[in-house]
This record gives sequence, C-alpha cells and structure tokens, in this order.
Amino acid sequence: MTCANYREAIQELVDGTLGAIRRAELEQHLSQCEACQQFEADMRRIRDLAGSLDTMAPPDGVWLQVAGRLRQEGRVQAPSPLVRPAPHRRYAILAIAASLIVAVGATLMFLLPSFGARNARDAANQTGTEATADTVRGVEDDFRLAEQHLQSGIAKLQEAARTDESTIDPQTAATLKKNLDVIDQAIAESRAALNSEPQSTIARDSLFQALRRKVDLLQDTIALMNEMRKGDAAGAASIVDGLNKS
Amino acid sequence: MAKVGGQRESGMGTSKVTVHPSAARAAGPGTRQDELALVKRCRDGDLGAFEEMYRAHAGRLFSVAFRLLGNATDAEDLLQEIFMAAHRKLDTFRGEAALGTWLYRLATNLCLDHLRSRSGRSSQVTDSIEDEQRLIDSTTSGLAEQTVTKMDIERAMAKLPEGCRAAFVLHDIEGLEHREVADVLGIAEGTSKSQVHKARTKLRALLMKTEP
Repeated sequence: MTCANYREAIQELVDGTLGAIRRAELEQHLSQCEACQQFEADMRRIRDLAGSLDTMAPPDGVWLQVAGRLRQEGRVQAPSPLVRPAPHRRYAILAIAASLIVAVGATLMFLLPSFGARNARDAANQTGTEATADTVRGVEDDFRLAEQHLQSGIAKLQEAARTDESTIDPQTAATLKKNLDVIDQAIAESRAALNSEPQSTIARDSLFQALRRKVDLLQDTIALMNEMRKGDAAGAASIVDGLNKS
Repeated sequence: MAKVGGQRESGMGTSKVTVHPSAARAAGPGTRQDELALVKRCRDGDLGAFEEMYRAHAGRLFSVAFRLLGNATDAEDLLQEIFMAAHRKLDTFRGEAALGTWLYRLATNLCLDHLRSRSGRSSQVTDSIEDEQRLIDSTTSGLAEQTVTKMDIERAMAKLPEGCRAAFVLHDIEGLEHREVADVLGIAEGTSKSQVHKARTKLRALLMKTEP
C-alpha cells in the first residue's frame, strides 16, 4: 500500500475512531514512514489548536442595534438604557478617555484635568439617578472635546503608519486593514447611535471603546513596522502574537 | 469535550438542531430558576434583562457564527438576527434545556439557514474541494518546525469552502461527533468524516503557505 492509502486511516486515528486491526496495520506503517508520521502530527496539531480557540467578543455596536430595533418595534417597555442615567459610567468614560489620551501621547494630557474634574464634580453633585441638564451638557461638551483630540491623535498615528507600510508583509497588512475597517465600522455605528441619542452613556462608551481599539491597533502597526525595519523577527513575532490575541 | 446525543427535526427539507451537544458549555452561570426568571423579565419587556441575557451569551454565539460564516460582518448581522429571533421566541422557552443550549440551537440553525441561502443550491451545506491527494503532495514538509497561532488557524479557516468549514467547526471546534455533525448538516456520516478530513488537510496546506 502507498502512503495515500493510509491518509484516511491517519485521520481516523486522530479522531479516535480507528478499529484495532487497521490501527495495528497503520502503526506498523507509521513506524517506517516519516512523511506519514509528519502528517499525523500535523492533523493532531490542527485538531488540538481548533479545539482550543477562544470565545470572541462581538462589537458593542451589535447590542445597540438589537436594543434599537426592539425599541422601534415596541417590544420593550422599559426606558431606553441608552438614556438611563448611570453615574458610574461617567467614571468608565473617564477611565477610557484617560487610557486613550495616554495612548496617543503626552500632547493630549492637558485635556484630562478638565474632563476628569467636570465628571467627578458632576458625579459628586448628583442625587439619585436624575442628572441635571447642565450636567448632561457639561459631559457632552467634555466628550466632544476629548473625542476631537482623540481623532487628532488617530490622524497622526495613521499618517505615521502610512509612511512605511511596505515594511509589513502583504498578508499581515491585509489583516491589519481588515481589522481597521471593522473598527471604523464600529465607530460609525456608535456615532450614529450617539447622534440619535446624544445623552446616551452607552453610546459614548461604545464610541470611546472603538476609538481606543483604533489607537491600539495603529500603535501596534507602527511598533511592528519598527521591529521589521530593525530586522528583529522575534520582536515582530511578539507584536503579531499580541495582535492575534487582541 | 462534552459530547451528548443530538436529534434531528425535519422541516423544509433541512435538518434542524434540536439538542446541541456542545451547547452545555455555553449554558453559563445561573440556575434554571434564575434563567426562567430572567426570561420572564425579558418577556415582560424589560430591556435590561434582555441585555443581561445578551451579555452572558453573545460571545459564544458570535464565535460560532463567525467561524461558520467565515467573516465578521455576516457574523455581526447574524448575531443581531439571533437575538431578535430569540426575543420573538421567548414564549417557546420552557426551561427543559439550559438557556445557553436553547440560544445555541437557535444560533446554529440561523447560521446554517444563512449558509444554505448563500450557497443557494442545495439543502446540504457541503461542497467539493480540491483533490485531497494534491493538497497532501503540495506540502513537502510538516508544520512541526513552524509557529502556528490560533489566529493563523482562524484566518486559514475563513478560506475553507463553506461545506467543509461547517463540518470542521462543528466537529473539531464545537466538539460534535460525526453522526451529530451529519444530523445537523443533513448529510451522511461518511460525508461528515470526509469533509472534516479534507478541511484539516486543506488547513495544513494553507498554513504551510503562510510561512516564509
């Protein structure tokens, strides 16, 4: 028998469904055939890797769309969570804004005190779950200001990433572009949700998270370019691995 | 992996998942009483309760949709449809199965319906791929010396033909037995085996090509 005749048996061996007689025959062949040993090892590796794949998180925009459709169809009675006052979310926005601002560079740091102070003051002044109109306006203003600077930081990162994009191999570049497209779509969806409900803390969270993901991805792209330019394959592999896990 | 028997429900000439073997993994925390209470709140129009349900199960359902459909955009659209359908069908949830199992079954059926409508040619989500022997011959050495990450597998899987991808996802990722995969996809058990085996062989060839 040729190696080709043993391939199906190897797959069944990997599946654990090979009978004893065929197994004995296969094992005898495997003991003499390096190519088939390699094939068996590869099949096991692929099966094991597939079985260990992680659960993926869907973009936040999906929930916003579901919630919006349920409200539109009149299938939920509760007030929209998008406008539900949630003081703790202010802190979440502040934390996200802080990480974004640190991420895009020290030039944005001047924003943080005013944004943080306003949020902290507003949260401290709130009683119960009712926010005042002034509070809402103040947070919206701060949010817009922070977003403008984040967008500015993103533009600079994008410009830097474009300067030497040829250092990245085409397949990785295509994957990065695809990821950027997905993030851009999330940004657009979150922005649309925020436009329809400007006071929505969830929509703001969603937009900030999408912007943060974009900053992270652009930073990783630039770091990858640097490693490739330096010829540091290990450093590049580490970054790609990080991208793969993100 | 948990492997429990699946059953087949006929309808419109396609197989429907009625009990999903690996869905127990998706059941998540909470007792059946908690789940029934949560579903009742959802039925009563409590959006917060439905969000709770979404947060608990969306990741697993998105993952299986992404892997079955092969791209994030379709998976996001399908995830929306899964939860819209779930909300519509809440009245049919009796608590016999875990909520995660019920949602997983719904998600898998919607994904397979989507694949069938996308292929638009067969009630069986199977198709032919290149000759297996040619794929084997195209790889002159194994993967042993190579770094293969989970993301490499995800990327390569997206390039598989839909039929063998579905069988591979259900068998090697979701942990169904071949007879259960056959049941879900409406194919013969032998076809499930050959599709999964072809998928692995093709993945091997794809992973070899990604190496420098």
